[in-house]
Amino acid sequence: MNSKTTFRSIGQILLQIPLWLYFIVSIYPLFWMISYSLKNNDEIFVTNPFGLPTHFRFENYVNAWTQFNIPRYFLNSFVVSTISTLCILLLALMFAFAVARMQWKFRSAVRTYMIVGMFMPLQVIMIPLAILVRDFHLTNTFGALIIPYIAIGLPFSTMVFYGFLVSIPREIEEAACIDGASIYRLFGQVILPLALPAIATIAIFQFLNNWNEFTLAYILISDENMKTLPLGLLFFQGSYSTDWGAMGAVMTIASIPMVLVYLLLSEQVERAMTVGSAVKG
Amino acid sequence: MNKYLGNKPALALFLLPALLLYSVILIYPVLQTVLRSFYDWDGLSTASFSGLANYRELFSDPLLATSLKNGLLFAVVLAVFQIGLGTILALVCANPKIRGRKLLKTAYFIPVVLSVTVVCQLWIAMYDPTNGLVNKLFELLHIPYRQNWLTSPTQSIIAIAFVNAWQFMGYQFSLLYAGVKAVPEDYFEAATIDGCGKWRAHLHVTLPLMRETFKFCFTIAITSGIGAFVQMLIMTNGGPGTTNYTLTFMIYRYAFMESNYGYACAVSVLLVMISLAATLVINKVFDRGQNV
Repeated sequence: MNSKTTFRSIGQILLQIPLWLYFIVSIYPLFWMISYSLKNNDEIFVTNPFGLPTHFRFENYVNAWTQFNIPRYFLNSFVVSTISTLCILLLALMFAFAVARMQWKFRSAVRTYMIVGMFMPLQVIMIPLAILVRDFHLTNTFGALIIPYIAIGLPFSTMVFYGFLVSIPREIEEAACIDGASIYRLFGQVILPLALPAIATIAIFQFLNNWNEFTLAYILISDENMKTLPLGLLFFQGSYSTDWGAMGAVMTIASIPMVLVYLLLSEQVERAMTVGSAVKG
Repeated sequence: MNKYLGNKPALALFLLPALLLYSVILIYPVLQTVLRSFYDWDGLSTASFSGLANYRELFSDPLLATSLKNGLLFAVVLAVFQIGLGTILALVCANPKIRGRKLLKTAYFIPVVLSVTVVCQLWIAMYDPTNGLVNKLFELLHIPYRQNWLTSPTQSIIAIAFVNAWQFMGYQFSLLYAGVKAVPEDYFEAATIDGCGKWRAHLHVTLPLMRETFKFCFTIAITSGIGAFVQMLIMTNGGPGTTNYTLTFMIYRYAFMESNYGYACAVSVLLVMISLAATLVINKVFDRGQNV
């Protein structure tokens, strides 16, 4: 009996090995990046490639921050991501309200029309979108990214809001109507507060998406001063190829905000990122 | 009541902004792409109708075969690594006796929130032939397997696909983990009481009940493999030569570097067709299992 339990607990430990091995595979590259951001080339290449730095060279960070446009990229990413996320939330919630709660003839057709966009690979709109942006004279402005990001975020967000709003009991509108509240007040003071959990989820999802979007930004933005973070970072690849420490510092600085947000809100972030499976699947 | 909820001006106000933006930025460009794929067009001057010429040219373009092959390889790496390994990790991790589950899940998910540029540059450094971590690791373990990871014409596509697989493993893992958790405990327990081993119980009970999760995971893995682009662009710029081209890379090159917009639109249409076909096949495969 006793040997059986020992056998079992050894089995438990063996079972865990793949989990911790993958833990290392997942996390060690990041640890390596942070540690080399504090080393010089000699230490990275020859004396100490794997371990913690022996002497913390914070000057790599000072160099990275002062010599390059990092603050600018951060600001651009922040402006683009915040504005597009706010607009997505407002427009998608209004649309979902009209489709889920209001009474009119073509609402299921209009909803289907919106769902179609969820299945469109982004690559298919790349070319006409670039020409549209050029023709509207939006190239190298925030609008070149904000407007497409809003449009792209709409189908998915409206579907999540729709799913949330249809589950609210019908009596809500009756009560609002009897109390004499206008439909705008019903939306703003009743529906909006009720939808807060869904709003939080979509806000996280869209902000992360917009913050890290690369392809459209790469095609639509060429002006150094308008570049978002993922785009600006590309620049360091060539110019920093000989100074790995500074390169590591740049990459670490760029990663810190999102990793912090994730560590603070890990459950909400994971739920937000995986909410798609409930809608699409 | 119906009058209250059918308020026309309110309806217009709520619907139109979203509908307008969506139609102009998403639907109109899709139609444009399809239409322009039948034209000879440089993006500036007037387009001239050329029928199926773009498509005929596309099917004799040597880059197409390269791109399709790379897209397929990319998708296979994602599917095997993320879904294969991810499923095993999710099954083990879902066992309530395992300690440190929260820490594990957090560690797996962190790469998902990083910028793709950072991840690609980190892996460029790790794949570096002389100073990179990957080769140094082989050296440390005395395994003679040092490679020029990103300049090898045969292996670089796998190396690049692995970067994507690594970054988004945590995402697929979360989906699979949620899928395992959604299977009612008593099904699994009933199977083990009936004399099934744990792994057999998972194989015959847990996995078949995760059909919807797998359907979604495979759809993501396959379609993002077919449409891969950013990793190629940042890590090798499609090279060495044109060996790491994908369909999206073709679109990018023909449209934005060679101003051959009509042709690039034809590639886009093909990409959408293949993505849709892949989605349909995945749906069919997983729905057929349902009736057995």
